[in-house]
Order: sequence, then C-alpha cells, then structure tokens
Amino acid sequence: MPVLRLVHPEPAVGPTEARRRKIGLEKVAVDFATRGKTVRAVDGVTLEVPEKQFLALVGPSGCGKSTILNMVAGLLAPTEGTIEYDGAPVLAANTRVGYMTQKDTLLPWRTVADNIGIAFELRCRKASAGERRERVAEMIDLVGLGGFERHYPAELSGGMRKRAALARMLIYEPETLLLDEPFGALDAQLRLLLQQELLHLVERRQMTVILVTHDLEEAVLMADRVVVFTSRPGRIRATRDIPFERPRNAMELRFRPEFSAIHEELWNELKDEFAASIGGERGAK
Amino acid sequence: MRNRNAAPKPEVVLAQQLVFLVVLLATWQFASGRLIPAFYISSPSDIVAIVWKWLADGSIWLHVGSTIITLFMGYAVGALLGIGFGLLLGLSPRTERLVAPFIAALYGLPKVALLPLFVIFFGIGLVSKVALVASVVIFLLFYATLAGVRDIDRDIIQSMRLMGARSDEITRKVRLPAILPWIYTGLRTSIGYALTTTVVSEALSSNRGLGFLIEYSASQFNSAGVFGAVVVLLVLSSVIMIPLGMLERRSRPTRPSR
Repeated sequence: MPVLRLVHPEPAVGPTEARRRKIGLEKVAVDFATRGKTVRAVDGVTLEVPEKQFLALVGPSGCGKSTILNMVAGLLAPTEGTIEYDGAPVLAANTRVGYMTQKDTLLPWRTVADNIGIAFELRCRKASAGERRERVAEMIDLVGLGGFERHYPAELSGGMRKRAALARMLIYEPETLLLDEPFGALDAQLRLLLQQELLHLVERRQMTVILVTHDLEEAVLMADRVVVFTSRPGRIRATRDIPFERPRNAMELRFRPEFSAIHEELWNELKDEFAASIGGERGAK
Repeated sequence: MRNRNAAPKPEVVLAQQLVFLVVLLATWQFASGRLIPAFYISSPSDIVAIVWKWLADGSIWLHVGSTIITLFMGYAVGALLGIGFGLLLGLSPRTERLVAPFIAALYGLPKVALLPLFVIFFGIGLVSKVALVASVVIFLLFYATLAGVRDIDRDIIQSMRLMGARSDEITRKVRLPAILPWIYTGLRTSIGYALTTTVVSEALSSNRGLGFLIEYSASQFNSAGVFGAVVVLLVLSSVIMIPLGMLERRSRPTRPSR
C-alpha cells in the first residue's frame, strides 16, 4: 500500500486530549428560498470542533449536512447565528480548509496529473516544476490512478474522478479537511483502501476533519465523534464520542464487538430520521 | 469473399469523383446552345476563356483582393468587438439583463437592411462594406462568448478560491480556458456568414469585388462573366473554408486549450 511522504512528521495523538476550538457554530440556522417559499434547511445548530478532531456528520439526505460544510468553507452565510474558524468569524472563502464537494470540480481541459498539481501553480503555494511532478506522482500512487496521468476527466469513471479530486485536495495538505461523501461513488474494496489511506494521512498530519456521510459504518470507523442530524430542518439529534485508539486500523476495527455496539446505538438514533425523511418526501408529493 | 460494405480506397473515390466532374462538364458543354440557349447557362469553354482573360490581363486581382480585404477586415473588427462585448456583458450580468432584449432584436434584424445606412455614414467604399460584415460577425461572436462565460462552472471557481487562487489566477486558469472553445466555434461558424455578407455588400453598393463582378456581368447580360466570377468565388471560399474544416476536426473539447 502506498504511503505518503510526510512534510512535517508529527506523532499521532489520541482523541481525548483537551484542545483549542478550531471550528465553532453558534445557533446556526439557514433558510433557502425555493419556488417562492422559504424552507429552513438547518435550524439551531451549535457545534464545536476542537483542533485535530475527526468529526463525522450523519443524517438523511437533505438534512443540511452539506450546507454546514459550505458555511465552514465560507461559501455560504448563515441566516442566523455565527460561524467561527480559529476564533475569527468566517466571512469570505476560507482558504485554510481543503473542501471536497460531492460534485467533483476538476478542470475538464486539464489532464489528471495537471489537475492534481494545480495548487502548486498558484502564487500562494508555488513549487518548482520538478517538485510538483514528484508530489503529483506520489498522490497518483496514493489514490491508485497510476496509468491515467494523461487522461482527461471526461475519460474517467465517476469513482476515478472522485479519487483525482481527493488527490488534488490532499496534495497541499490543508490543516482542515471538509469532506462531502468523498467515497460515495467507489466500489467497496477501493473504499476500504482509501478510508485507510485517509486515516493514515489525517492521523500523521494531525488534520482537523469534518466528514459528511450517510454511511454510518464509515463514520464510526473513521471519526472521533459522530453527530447525528434530524431530517429537514437539520437539527442535532445525538452526539457520540467514538473511543477507539489512534492510529486506527479500519480493516480490523469493523469486526470488534464494541464497534458493533456503537454502530447499533447510533443506528437506533438514525433510523427514525431516515423513516421521517422518506415520509416527509412522500407527504410533500 | 470481400466485404461489400468495406470503404473503397481513397484513390478509387477520387477517380470516381473526377469522372463525375468530367461527365457533368461535358453534358453542360453539349447542352449549351443545343438544348438550352447559351445566354442562360453559358458554357464551360466560355467560362474558362473569360477567367483566363481576367487572369491574363490581371483585372481579376482587383476584385479578389477587394473581397479578401473586406472579408477579413469585417471579420476581424466584428470578432474583436463581439468577443469584447461578450466578455464585458458576461461578467456583468446586471447590465446584460438590461440590454439583452435590445441585442436580441438587433440580432434578429437582417443586417443587409442596414447597408444603405452605412453608405450614408461612410460613403460607397471599403468602410461601409466592412461595417456591414462586422455587424453580422459581431452578434455571432457576442453570443458565442456569452454562452462560454455562462458555461463557466461556479463550483470550479469556488474550489479554486478555497485553494487560495487570486482573481487573476482564476481568470487565467479557469475563465479563459473555459471560454476559448466557445470562441473557436464562433470564429469557425461566422466566417461563412462573413463571406456571404461581403459578396452581398459588393453586389449592392460597390465598384469592385467578386460580388460586384457578378452583379456587373449580369447587368451586361454576360452570362459567362457571371459564371466566371462565381467560379473564382468558389475557389476563394474553398481556399478559406477547407483549412478551417481541418482545424475543426483537430480541436476536441477535452484537449487542453493552453
């Protein structure tokens, strides 16, 4: 399995240490106007993410999880409440975070390799052509896109585009990752591999992460804390610390009885919301 | 057994095409004066004779040169203005919304109707013809560029901004490469319209150019002259269009446009 070369190797830390607040949401609410009606997507969400924590948000689709990532990234302003990052309110695009959206935003006229290396072409992260090539090769190896360097995004499958987008974000090692269903389009085996790779990287680089997923197993495997959202309007229904050690072995963890216990506990919270969200959609039609 | 559907060799196709042309010309030559009066359809030999005469005394070059100059000046002016306005209004949607219906109305107007106006403004001569050609090309490039600007993916721009890209870097690395294929398409499609407009403007108000030569020959009841000028125009348009067609085949949307 490929392992990323580290720029600043640091020891892994456990989830229990007291840490500085990295991201803070204070009584956040968001309204969207659709077809002349105002719909509340997120309501009264107060949430703190300490530095270096891996937080997972789970909930039925349409519960405003992606909306929360958009606000932390500074792409959307809340209707009510405040968003803070490093103690300062988020008012514009937050360049401290790497954001992997559900829809990949690869440049269609650039090859996979040129897409992945684009961050190092920017003035703020300038790197020499040689260094860029070396790092791109490492990332391509990491996400398993070897042989597709010269392909264009239109020539790749959905899962391969996801991996290219992941590599493009990870290559500049942002201090905070916002991941919106990053492994959604992947087959089961590749999903496992990439989950493990991401865990390695996050643990060793000590990144702060917010992972949005509807896959509860993925959330429990990877996160230090799981927050369960209600169906629309999204409110926090339950929060659960995940006590497993770091570094984690996701492959092995899923077979432990404690894992099953936590999974079941959270599933009991979540299943009503899935039922409610389906019922709500039926009711709306 | 050979596959009946297999494509024949290129040389065979070319030979067949030549035979077809020769048969066509021979039929034309035979029919002229025998089945149909030569006054209407002239004849290949008369057409060759008159084109040869124009080439020998050099008189044709005045007309060919005038057509080429009008075409490319009108094309260049129209393309530059069209791209410029397209970018300008594409990047300021508020103004675009304001003027959109007026532009749409002008776009629908047959531009030839404006020629008398241009003649009043600029007199009979190069400038009024260039203005007419430009007035056709400008709308085609404007709409192509506007479509390109609208096609830019907002999510891509936001992702670049989060990565730390400055506005000028986003323009260079995202906006321009996204618009370029649309401009190429606009340039390719508008050259045909530009040539048509050039010939029409020469026929209507000019004393030179292939359009003028056609119109003038017709007014003299010189059918060989009409056909001769058409043949010269045919050669000219082929010389302009064939390289463009090859360019079109080479440019694929997935190719980098850097």
